[in-house]
Amino acid sequence: MEKILRIDERESGNVTVVSLMGRMDASSSPEAEAGMSRLISSGSRRVVVDMSGLDYISSAGLRVMLASLKKLRNDGGQLVLVGLKPEIRKIFEIAGFHRIFTIYPTADQALHSFDTIV
Amino acid sequence: MDPMLPSLISTTIVLFQMMCVIVVFAYLITRTRFFDEVLVRQFTWKNQIFLIVLFGILSIYGSESGISVLGAQINIRDLGPMVAGLVAGPIVGVGAGLIGASYRMTMGGFTLVPCSLATVLAGLLAGMVYILAGRKFPGILIAVSFAIIMEGLHMGLVLLISRPISQAVEVVSDVALPMIAANAAGMFIFSFIIANLLKEKQTQEERDRYHKELERKNAELQIAHEIQTSFLPEAIPRIPGYSLAAMSIPAREVGGDFYDIIPFSGHKTGILIADVSDKGVPAALFMALSRTVVRANAVWHPKARNAIQGANAMISADARSGMFVTLFFGILDNDSRRISYVNAGHNPPLLFREGSSPVPLTPTGIALGAIDDAEYGEESIDLNDGDVLVLYTDGVTEAMDSQNNQFGEERLAEMVSPNLALSAEAILEKVCEGVRVHTGDAPQFDDVTLMILKVGY
Repeated sequence: MEKILRIDERESGNVTVVSLMGRMDASSSPEAEAGMSRLISSGSRRVVVDMSGLDYISSAGLRVMLASLKKLRNDGGQLVLVGLKPEIRKIFEIAGFHRIFTIYPTADQALHSFDTIV
Repeated sequence: MDPMLPSLISTTIVLFQMMCVIVVFAYLITRTRFFDEVLVRQFTWKNQIFLIVLFGILSIYGSESGISVLGAQINIRDLGPMVAGLVAGPIVGVGAGLIGASYRMTMGGFTLVPCSLATVLAGLLAGMVYILAGRKFPGILIAVSFAIIMEGLHMGLVLLISRPISQAVEVVSDVALPMIAANAAGMFIFSFIIANLLKEKQTQEERDRYHKELERKNAELQIAHEIQTSFLPEAIPRIPGYSLAAMSIPAREVGGDFYDIIPFSGHKTGILIADVSDKGVPAALFMALSRTVVRANAVWHPKARNAIQGANAMISADARSGMFVTLFFGILDNDSRRISYVNAGHNPPLLFREGSSPVPLTPTGIALGAIDDAEYGEESIDLNDGDVLVLYTDGVTEAMDSQNNQFGEERLAEMVSPNLALSAEAILEKVCEGVRVHTGDAPQFDDVTLMILKVGY
């Protein structure tokens, strides 16, 4: 059976880029949450979540993103979202989350933004 | 016996032939109900006598199947009483030992006294080991070790009691090794079967316990479901000049959706629909918190925006796990038909008006619980006679068919628009029917909540 959600991870300098692909709903979100928690507790402070392969996100998925954002900000870290498809962006906008998340069109732009912040 | 074979080998062969008999015996005896009862310490006279007799018979077989070396029997007479003692305590052990010993007495020989004595002692000491192990079978290692020590003791008794001593020494040096080996092997067979039986029972017990646990959890969830249902309005309050219908179906036993209709003084009515992130028990707990906080704030603050701002501050303080709740809260002035509302990140309710396309009541702020000092805007809209306001959670529009196609806002509008003349109750039924047809056999993924407010009847 094809997995509902695929999670890839790569390092780019001191930034971790997490790619979420597929569907992030109540059944697949716990896996994403575990992945994000592991990442944060292992010391990643600059995380880019690439959503260009994400087709659907439910409130359970939004919760995982919000929890990760809160955790990272508490520890002085940053979480940036990139590559939101229009339907994903709409879900973020309805909940009002586009105002608390930093969102960039592409991962490169997000990585570049980290450079300029430093 | 083949005279060409050395006595050690020939006797060992005979003793190993006995093992086959023991395997069959052990298999049969451990399959009886009496043996089962004793293993779980349900002792009755009946099962104790049954085991005394059976292990007594095994002891007799142990004597009878033995072979004679210089008048001494190489045998597994002690095995029956030993096993009896190890599985059922000293009474059964000694009982079986007495049967075995009595039979041995009839056989005579110069080792009669120590051999008979050893058999009773085997049952008694095995019973002691049983008690020391906490009144249970002590396990394979201890059982086999005990058999070896017991047979050593048996040999010691022969040396101590049988005379002439030179003959006793000769017998012991000849039979000690095969006898210890034979009894240890017999004990191993029994222990192995008993240990397996106990493990089987334990697995079964664990399965039963797991089953019970599951039943208990289901019962708890059922109670949780009932408690949660009691959080929703028991009956939809009547608002003069309006018709109102609502329903909420959690995807699991409990869920995170809720709605509320709060009558205020001065002909005003609070209308609330909310959706807690995620689903199941975590969502239900957060729903209980949110519902209480929002209701308390709604009653306290006359303005919708202040109520939601206050509720958000409280909820955010408890939202460490990233939980949040989206909601639409409107205060309807029953007489002027003006509804002032806050939409905190909730799916925009749709206002249907005859002859025009539905108007979404878009968000005026962020979901509750995301940031503690969030600001909320307040909008208002005047309702006309015949207007239909459809409030829903994403469980409605994101209800999926088996090909993962969402029900969507368009289909929702298609269900409502042609039916604006119907009552709120009937429109609700139309939408539910539409969702049911769309999803077909696909399981319900999310909590589904729907509320219809119609101006007029």
